[in-house]
Amino acid sequence: MSTSCGNPETEQDALMTRRTKFDKTKTSCFFPLISTRFRKTLGPTINNKRGNKGANARGGRIKGLMQAPGSLVIGHSGGLGSTVLLDLVAKSYFYRSSTSSGQLPEDSLSLGSEHPRNRARGEGDSGDVWKGTPAVCYVEVASVIPGAKERTEEVRAAVKAYSDPTTGFEIDFIPLRLEDAFDEGWWKTVGGTDLKQGARDLGIDINDEALPTLRQGSNIPTTPLQSLHTYLSSLPTPTAIHSAISSLIRVLLLFTAASRDASHLLLGTSLTSLSMNMISGIAQGAGFAMVSEGLEEAWIGKNDQNISIVRPLRDIGIKESAFWAWWSNLPVPGRDRYPSSVSSVPLGSETAASRVAVKQNQKLTSIDVLTQDFIMGLEKDFPSTVSTIARTLAKVTTKEKGVSGGCVVCQKPAQPDVQAWKASISIRSYHDEAFVKSKHPLPPHFTSPPDAGVSAASSPTNGLAPRLCYSCHTTFTSRSSRGIASANEVVVPLPVWVKASLPSSSEDTTVPESKDLQTGSNEDVAQAEVWETKKLSRGSIKDKIGAFLLDDAGDE
Amino acid sequence: MAGAETSSVTIKVEFSGGLELLFSNQRSHTLTLPAAVPTDNATTVPVPSTIEATKPADITYLIHYLRDHLLQERAELFEENGTVRPGILVLINDTDWELEGEGDYVVKEGDEVVFISTLHGG
Repeated sequence: MSTSCGNPETEQDALMTRRTKFDKTKTSCFFPLISTRFRKTLGPTINNKRGNKGANARGGRIKGLMQAPGSLVIGHSGGLGSTVLLDLVAKSYFYRSSTSSGQLPEDSLSLGSEHPRNRARGEGDSGDVWKGTPAVCYVEVASVIPGAKERTEEVRAAVKAYSDPTTGFEIDFIPLRLEDAFDEGWWKTVGGTDLKQGARDLGIDINDEALPTLRQGSNIPTTPLQSLHTYLSSLPTPTAIHSAISSLIRVLLLFTAASRDASHLLLGTSLTSLSMNMISGIAQGAGFAMVSEGLEEAWIGKNDQNISIVRPLRDIGIKESAFWAWWSNLPVPGRDRYPSSVSSVPLGSETAASRVAVKQNQKLTSIDVLTQDFIMGLEKDFPSTVSTIARTLAKVTTKEKGVSGGCVVCQKPAQPDVQAWKASISIRSYHDEAFVKSKHPLPPHFTSPPDAGVSAASSPTNGLAPRLCYSCHTTFTSRSSRGIASANEVVVPLPVWVKASLPSSSEDTTVPESKDLQTGSNEDVAQAEVWETKKLSRGSIKDKIGAFLLDDAGDE
Repeated sequence: MAGAETSSVTIKVEFSGGLELLFSNQRSHTLTLPAAVPTDNATTVPVPSTIEATKPADITYLIHYLRDHLLQERAELFEENGTVRPGILVLINDTDWELEGEGDYVVKEGDEVVFISTLHGG
């Protein structure tokens, strides 16, 4: 009898037979495995939670009728995860026609359970899982990426492949562009409230941490594309640009889904991408919102419309997604990496010098890029670590609830008292007493300490800062030692949903214009309320609290 | 008694996930590799007869060969430290190369090797 355990790690001569039965790369096992994992993640989220008694783990089907309270929108980035998500949704809940010959599959088992031909007649009328027609929404970002090609038509073709001409089944395709975030026309099509006249030309001054709202004066961008370029080029760091683009896309998808009375917005974030987003998000101060990223998020729009943002691929690694796409012969349109630098004018109209500068700045790296490279390397050598990141974050919760309405820019949960927290943990001005005493050298892009930063419009009543989450405020105000921000004197335009949410006091004509901010010679500037903060000395503080000190506190 | 050894091996190589853009925008390639290659993976073709230290052509050699002879631009997006860059998956006859010994897998006549890039996110 052999005494060998057969483990080749302990006995080099041992032969361990590969158990093909458990070989996940065998397609006969692979497809059902991934499908089941997908349905187990998405299934329990479909029904309205109030009526959900809990999901049957087998395939995620729920005992009884699966019926969502609204329609379905799938966010498509052109990337691998989105492509696989669309395929899984279509095959699991709708229909996927043959991509090559256009012939209908003879075997009706390949049709989704909700296909008109294959409607399950179990307990009562199954009907459609989601109301209305499902839709895929794609946001084109090529307008801000030098040299990028537009992929809208490729994504459209990928969606169209799921049409069934015999039954007339189709998935709607909604193409958007990143600049729609600054387009009143788009805002109206998704049912947004009319912008007040006074809000239309409002922007913010990102040189002031209070982010005061200002009129753009004579510098109003003429087109949404121009506004987008002004917005992104004004951001201080490459990380801020990446974060801003992600936020704009997210909110565009949300409002589009809301306009279709969607109850679910599905995103193709795989386990690997989720881990990347978590690490980079936490590094940028988005930890408060991160808790909800791993699980089902809920966004409440106008009229208390509730949209569940679900990432059904969160238990599927990027490797498994790639295998699914390859073996299913799915065309992946692809997506470009977000830029590290954006021209202040639309591509094609910039000067040669500006084009060169933008191209050179693409070499600057960002937290997202560093995190992606790190996680990819980690997955290669330590694959279980990637899932550990996601699972660890799922165990974390927040100490307090977010402010009502969330962050006005990214529409994510926002923690309360962000400004107070920042004030207590950082030196916020080069004129702070502690900084001056330390004699710390200034960053290389400053030859002398900048002005004390007292802006005439710096007022808690018309500043945007209190309405932002930590991450968005950092996006606008972080200072890179390289000083990439080039348009420091430009009033930054705001996305339409932010303008629409500004209080009616924004119509007040005393809101100053952007001119003459530096010199303060404008009459409005001189008359506006000025807030200034300064650090108290130890003696001053002790005078104020002396009555509360115990006798043995002692003097120093 | 073993049959006569062939001096070359013909395999099929496919690229997906955007990698084809680095290889003349061509997704599928048919390659003929020498059956015995230098142990240092030098990809001079034909293999000089003076080379004494040889090994059977394996995936590591294939990666070097692709980098040196087919790659049109930006080698750093495909190869890194003698292997594929993290984020690029390799399938050998529809099987994950991790199960076949990764770079040490000896290519055989008619093998299909697929390189899939996952560097375009979700």
